[in-house]
Formats: sequence, C-alpha cells, structure tokens
Amino acid sequence: MDEPQSPDEHLSRLMARAQQGDGDAYVTLLRAITPRIRQLARARRGFLGESDVEDVVQEVLLSVHAVRATYDPGRPLMPWLSTIVRHRLADAGRRHYRHGAHEIGVDDLDVTFQAPVTNSREETFGDSNALAEAIQALPPGQRQAVELLKLRELSLKEASALTGLSIGALKLATHRALASLRRTLLGKDEG
Amino acid sequence: MNTDHLIERLGRDATVVNPLPAPGMRTALWMLWALSYLVVFAATMLAVASSAGVMPTPLYLVQQTAALVTGIVAVRAAFASVIPGSNNRVWMLPAIGAGAWGVSLLWAGVLDRHAFGTLGITSQSDWPCVVSLTVGGLVVGAPLVWMLRRGAPLTPRLTAFLAAIAALSVANVGACLTRPHAFASTVLLWHGSTVVAVAALCALTGYRWLRWRHTTILDRS
Repeated sequence: MDEPQSPDEHLSRLMARAQQGDGDAYVTLLRAITPRIRQLARARRGFLGESDVEDVVQEVLLSVHAVRATYDPGRPLMPWLSTIVRHRLADAGRRHYRHGAHEIGVDDLDVTFQAPVTNSREETFGDSNALAEAIQALPPGQRQAVELLKLRELSLKEASALTGLSIGALKLATHRALASLRRTLLGKDEG
Repeated sequence: MNTDHLIERLGRDATVVNPLPAPGMRTALWMLWALSYLVVFAATMLAVASSAGVMPTPLYLVQQTAALVTGIVAVRAAFASVIPGSNNRVWMLPAIGAGAWGVSLLWAGVLDRHAFGTLGITSQSDWPCVVSLTVGGLVVGAPLVWMLRRGAPLTPRLTAFLAAIAALSVANVGACLTRPHAFASTVLLWHGSTVVAVAALCALTGYRWLRWRHTTILDRS
C-alpha cells in the first residue's frame, strides 16, 4: 500500500511528471500552486491592485514554465517555487515604483475638456452630401480605393484580392484620394 | 488573457524537458572547455613566439593555482545562482578565492621590492595581456553564457559578474603562462584592472543577456 504523500511531495511528483511531458499533471500542478502564488503576492505586495496581483501571478507561472528544467525532482518544490515568486515580486515592486515615478494620480478624469468648443456633438464631417460629391469626383482608381478601404472597411489584402491591384498601389491611391478630399472639402468650407 | 486560459496554454506546451545537471557537473563540463582553451592557446602562443614560456617559481604556481581555483569556484557559483532555491551566498567562495589570488600577487610584489628595491609599477606596459584577457575571456565565456541562459535569471547582475570572473581567471592563466612579467605589480595592475573592468561591464549589462524568456513561450503556444 502507498504511503500517504505530504502536499509538497505531491507537487514534486506532479512537477517531475510535467518535466516528462505530462500536460495533465502540469495543468494540475499549475492550478494547485496558483492560489499560493496569489496569496504570497497579496501578502508581500499589499500596495498592488487586484489586476497587478493577477499580472504577477501570470508572470510567475510563465517563469515557472520557462525554467522548469532547473527543478531537481529529488528536492522539495516549494523552496524552488518560493525563490521564483520572491524574485518576480521584487521585479513587480520595482516596476510599480518606476511607473509610479512617471505617472500622476488623478481621482476623477473628465471624459473631455470643459471648454464648449471641445464639446461639439459634431464628430464627423458636417456635410455628408458634399463628401459624397467629392468622392464621386475622384478619379476611378482613387474612388474605388476609398470605397473599399474606408467605406466598406476591407483590409488591404482583401481589397487587393478583389481589385487585382497591389497593396502598394492601393495605399498610394488612398493617400492621394484623402489628400484630394481634404483639399476639396476644406476649400469649400473656407469658401 | 485570464490566468485559467494561460494555465491551459502552458499545459499544451508541456514538452519533455531534461532537468539541468547539478552545478558541480556543469562546472566540470565547462572546465573541460576552459582547459582545452588553455592548452591550445599556450601551445599556439609558445610556438609563434618560439620561446620556452615562463620559468615557474613556487609563488608563480601559487598565483596561477589561486587564479584557476577562483575560476572554478566562480563558475560553480554562477551555475548555482541560476537554480532557484540554491544557496544565496554563492558569491562567498569566489570572493575568498579572488582574495587569495590578490594576496599572492601582493606578496610577490613585496618580494620584488626586497629583491630589486622597486615595485616596478611603471616598468612594463601590458596591453598584449589586456587584449589576450579580453579575447580569451570572450572565447572561454561564450559557452558559459549559453549554459547559464538555460537557468533562471534570478540575479542577472551577480550571475554575469561571477561568469566574467570565471572566464577572465582562466584567460589570465593563459596570459601569464605565455608572457613573462618582470614584476608582480604589472600583473596586479594590468590584469587586475582588466578583470575588474570587464567583470563590472558584464555585471552592468547582465540583465540584457540573462532575462526571462516569456515572449518566446507565448509566441510558440
């Protein structure tokens, strides 16, 4: 009859099986250690928010995965894991303070600025008829490019397949079309 | 990506991995390479210079042994430093080795002072040894970097520093074997400052070449 295993022995065996390529054992191991990592992160880095804690947990899991060859199956798993967690937490702490030094905390950020001129409801070009006319006035190649890429929102690859034009030619046609539209519409606006 | 999803992806990527050999075993493997370098380097340099090399005195042998031992304990410490959960005072033995190496050179300097009435600090410039140490250190150290990158970069600066000390110690033995130095102070100043400068540079840049390889995992899965 097998002797009962301590939790650490159980984890060590799971890791040994994971090193042999057993994906199920590996998933079981990662699920078992994740709450411990989360607990350690919360306990040792109380200043981190929930999403930062989760980032740290994921970084530790990725680190465990990257260096699982350094684990010696003859030794207990927890000291090995704790060292990785400790170093990744230190990295997270350093990153937190580094970011903090370059950021300014704001309690409540306005959706937009308060000045009336910045709060116009018109977020698109006002005269849609003028825009449609300007598009119709474009040379056929440029008009086709605008219709496919801007109005129908196809990707360059899709538009290229549809028209038989190269991606470079489509980009050039779009660029010229937009410049032409800008000139026409702004000219009308000013006039 | 949430954590459960990540675990599933990592589970799918669970290929067979061979546990790294113990640091002592990896040290022996690297020393084989380092000693091969020493033999080839010494044979080539002595053949090119058509000289008999350096006539060894007991103190000279002590210096070279101290340098070689420093290299061995430093590389062992470097290998241990990339294993999570290993002793975190790995730097102590290399520090003792380097101390013994320095003391043996200082003692040789004292003997030079008694014998010749001078330390001979300005007697000889040693640029060939600076080049030999740097290039030799690169040749000996390149496989070491590759071996260390298989471990966990927990303390990249310390690991890089120890690796540099190990490679430069071996390169120093090669330089001392092939180029006679009239005074111990020449070795202490020129070799010592080269070792310190290159090791410091390696320590400063260690985090660039010893880093966690997460993106590769995510790209692959």
